[in-house]
Amino acid sequence: MNKLGRGHRDKVQQFMTITGASEKVALQSLKASDWHLDGAFDVFYSQPHPKSFTDTKHLEEMYNRYKGKLTINHPYADMIMADGISTLCNDLQVDPQDIVMLVVSWHMKAATMCEFTKQEFVGGLQSLGIDSLEKFRERIPFMRSELKDDQKFKEIYIFAFGWAKEKGQKSLALDTAIGMWQLLFEEKEWPLVDHWCQFLQARHNKAISRDTWSQLLEFARSVDPTLANYDAEGAWPYLIDEFVEYLIENGIIEKGRVM
Amino acid sequence: MNERKTIDLEQGWDFMQKGITKLKNILEGLPEPQFSSEDYMMLYTTIYNMCTQKPPHDYSQQLYDKYRESFEEYITSTVLPSLREKHDEFMLRELVRRWSNHKVMVRWLSRFFHYLDRYFIARRSLPPLNEVGLACFRDLVYQEVNGKVRDAVISLIDQEREGEQIDRALLKNVLDIFVEIGMGQMEYYENDFEASMLNDTAAYYSRKASNWILEDSCPDYMLKAEECLKREKDRVSHYLHSSSEPKLLEKVQNELLSVYATQLLEKEHSGCHALLRDDKVDDLSRMYRLFSKIPKGLDPVSSMFKQHVTAEGTTLVKQAEDAASTKKAEKRDVVGLQEQVFVRKVIELHDKYLAYVNDCFMNHTLFHKALKEAFEIFCNKGVAGSSSAELLATFCDNILKKGGSEKLSDEAIEDTLEKVVKLLAYISDKDLFAEFYRKKLARRLLFDKSANDEHERSILTKLKQQCGGQFTSKMEGMVTDLTLAKENQSHFEEYLNNNPNVSPGIDLTVTVLTTGFWPSYKSFDLNLPAEMVKCVEVFREFYQTKTKHRKLTWIYSLGTCNINGKFEPKTMELIVTTYQASALLLFNLSDRLSYQEIMTQLNLSDDDVVRLLHSLSCAKYKILLKEPNTKTISPTDYFEFNSKFTDKMRRIKIPLPPVDEKKKVIEDVDKDRRYAIDASIVRIMKSRKVLGYQQLVMECVEQLGRMFKPDVKAIKKRIEDLITRDYLERDKENPNLFRYLA
Repeated sequence: MNKLGRGHRDKVQQFMTITGASEKVALQSLKASDWHLDGAFDVFYSQPHPKSFTDTKHLEEMYNRYKGKLTINHPYADMIMADGISTLCNDLQVDPQDIVMLVVSWHMKAATMCEFTKQEFVGGLQSLGIDSLEKFRERIPFMRSELKDDQKFKEIYIFAFGWAKEKGQKSLALDTAIGMWQLLFEEKEWPLVDHWCQFLQARHNKAISRDTWSQLLEFARSVDPTLANYDAEGAWPYLIDEFVEYLIENGIIEKGRVM
Repeated sequence: MNERKTIDLEQGWDFMQKGITKLKNILEGLPEPQFSSEDYMMLYTTIYNMCTQKPPHDYSQQLYDKYRESFEEYITSTVLPSLREKHDEFMLRELVRRWSNHKVMVRWLSRFFHYLDRYFIARRSLPPLNEVGLACFRDLVYQEVNGKVRDAVISLIDQEREGEQIDRALLKNVLDIFVEIGMGQMEYYENDFEASMLNDTAAYYSRKASNWILEDSCPDYMLKAEECLKREKDRVSHYLHSSSEPKLLEKVQNELLSVYATQLLEKEHSGCHALLRDDKVDDLSRMYRLFSKIPKGLDPVSSMFKQHVTAEGTTLVKQAEDAASTKKAEKRDVVGLQEQVFVRKVIELHDKYLAYVNDCFMNHTLFHKALKEAFEIFCNKGVAGSSSAELLATFCDNILKKGGSEKLSDEAIEDTLEKVVKLLAYISDKDLFAEFYRKKLARRLLFDKSANDEHERSILTKLKQQCGGQFTSKMEGMVTDLTLAKENQSHFEEYLNNNPNVSPGIDLTVTVLTTGFWPSYKSFDLNLPAEMVKCVEVFREFYQTKTKHRKLTWIYSLGTCNINGKFEPKTMELIVTTYQASALLLFNLSDRLSYQEIMTQLNLSDDDVVRLLHSLSCAKYKILLKEPNTKTISPTDYFEFNSKFTDKMRRIKIPLPPVDEKKKVIEDVDKDRRYAIDASIVRIMKSRKVLGYQQLVMECVEQLGRMFKPDVKAIKKRIEDLITRDYLERDKENPNLFRYLA
């Protein structure tokens, strides 16, 4: 996209807005018609697209239903904001705090918590093959089940860090991190999660780095909750080392045994 | 020459037989005239003739056989019977005599038959005459008697070991037979004699040692062992073959030392520990001499040495610790003296045991290592909350400053400094020492407290040698700065003389320092009194004439002032710090000031104001009167000039106690360490690109070890920080692996 000239770029944008097609498809169609918009539309609509069965018009309508109102506070709010999301949750009959909303955000590749840009929303639903609220609602149980898949869970876990942190920050505020962990590990059932959160509040009280975030999942997955196979000489982030010390100091864990 | 007459075998041999009989008679000591050269020539010629006749009259082969038969006949008829009837020592004597006779016989007969050697034997590659002659003795005599001879010899050796006199020359001669019979090969000596002798020796000393180890103290045992080894060595030089020495000594050492090493070294009241405790240097030297000879023999000795030195050092630490805790209740000022004594004692301990290593233990690396490890253990313990790095820096300061607690001659100072620097080698936190040292050096230099410039430079040279140029570059810069500052001051005075229109109004001395060499100080904090502001202006102008691109930063907290106090009884000169002077000068304009007013006018922090007002109103000299009149300063206090103040001196110094800088020094060092670790990790990763965690930590510790011992946890934190800052990343597959991000 960046390699394109201004005129071409505008055409791609226009094409995508009208058809709801992805950037790739837009480029293909425009190139095929030698950058004539009308020709490109012909190309696009005359070809059977695997994703075109999602009715872009419906998606557009859905987006418009949730997108933020242009107010003085949000003059540029061409995106779905917190209010819209809570309406969406209502329509889906899902609690906004439900972890499945994280999975939804993951599918939409949302950059930030409580926000969907139009591209994220429309693109995400398209790739999920959803073009109506009905279908959306039907897909919720499937998305919930995706958390059970180890590989997907890991992707979602890693995604959650970037999604939850404040824009422009390198690390994740402790409160947010703790909230996310409690949410995620409820799913994954790591028995030490409460101790971990208590430890962080008592001893650390600082933001969490990306490295610590991703290593904690590794720790929860590979180290036995009794710490029997924990290697103090290993490369675990120091915060995790200190957590282990804390567990032993406080008699929560003793010689490979949960007290 | 005429045609020669042919000699037949019978006839020729008859003639030869006569000569041989004559030789035998001579050997047996029967009356017989010596061989004349004519006799000899005749015999030789006969052989020559018989061998040079045309076949079938060439009798070479027959003569060669008869030559051997002559020996065999003589041995069977005469030698063996005479040996068989004798026993023990007499048998040995007889053997020696017979062997020496035999050698004479071989010599003579081989001369008679010499022509055989030259042609017949050479052409047919047969054993030469000499060898044939000796082999006869070996095959017939030696093979029969060597067992008996060996036993007799060993029994004589054992008798000598028990202190009896024996005929050493006889043994020497007998053992020479074992060697000579080999005709250049040592196997007869080794197999027929040496092996049994060694076994017997082992058995002998095994018996001895098992008694001695029970009865004797460790020193006595070692004396005996050393004596035994010496005597065995003598034995070799007197009658054994020199090749036996290492084998023999090895046997003895094994039985006396290796077998009982642990038992001997650990003897409760006389073992290695006791010897070290009682300073038995002679016995320790002996122990080294003995145990250096057996394989791995020194390991237990050096490890006991290490234990002993560690225990002694730890006792010193504990003593100092105890002394400090009893002192704490008393005055704070005297604290420090104990630590001073402690360092002195550690130096003495080091002197003592270094001498042990050099003298008793012959400079052996194993003992140098033990000494180093022992000192590293207790030197890094620290005393009463002060790290040993700080203690050493304080110790140096005390020696180098004017009026320190140590009164020493120049040589003694040099010597002590040398030793302190040596101790520094054992301290792992060398960077902490450097920082403390720099702080104290700065005080010595800036407050003119350094006793001797030469000593200052000399210890820097020593530190440089030991720790490298980087370690001392800042300190050297400081010393140089001060020399330059003196020059600069004289230029300034010249400048004032040449420009009478500019005058600072008061005498002003400025020390210009280079930022970076010196510890960091607070600057530009104080609201300077007008008088002094002018000084600063004048100096700044002067300084600009000298240099264009340098920025002057004033550090008032290091300044001192001499001011006149006009008290009612008399005018006095007060030596105070710039802070104190600024506070006092406020009272030229107002009679009475509140704490708050003073603080605002001076623009100082609470800490500083409390400290300086305390020194002026609550300490020894009460230049200011405080309301209410209590011992501590509170923000609600009021102050007034004490015009009645006086003292018997005309000039007094009002000290301002320095802030305790320990915490700041430690923090500074900590911060520097973070940078050092970062730099080291990046350096390593830049060259390695991908590296496992363990190895990264190891290399990092190794790189930084010269300056300090980095904490593994600290390294880990730095690694994580570098990950956050995108210098490194964790490998996606293996979390123990790090990659460098260029």
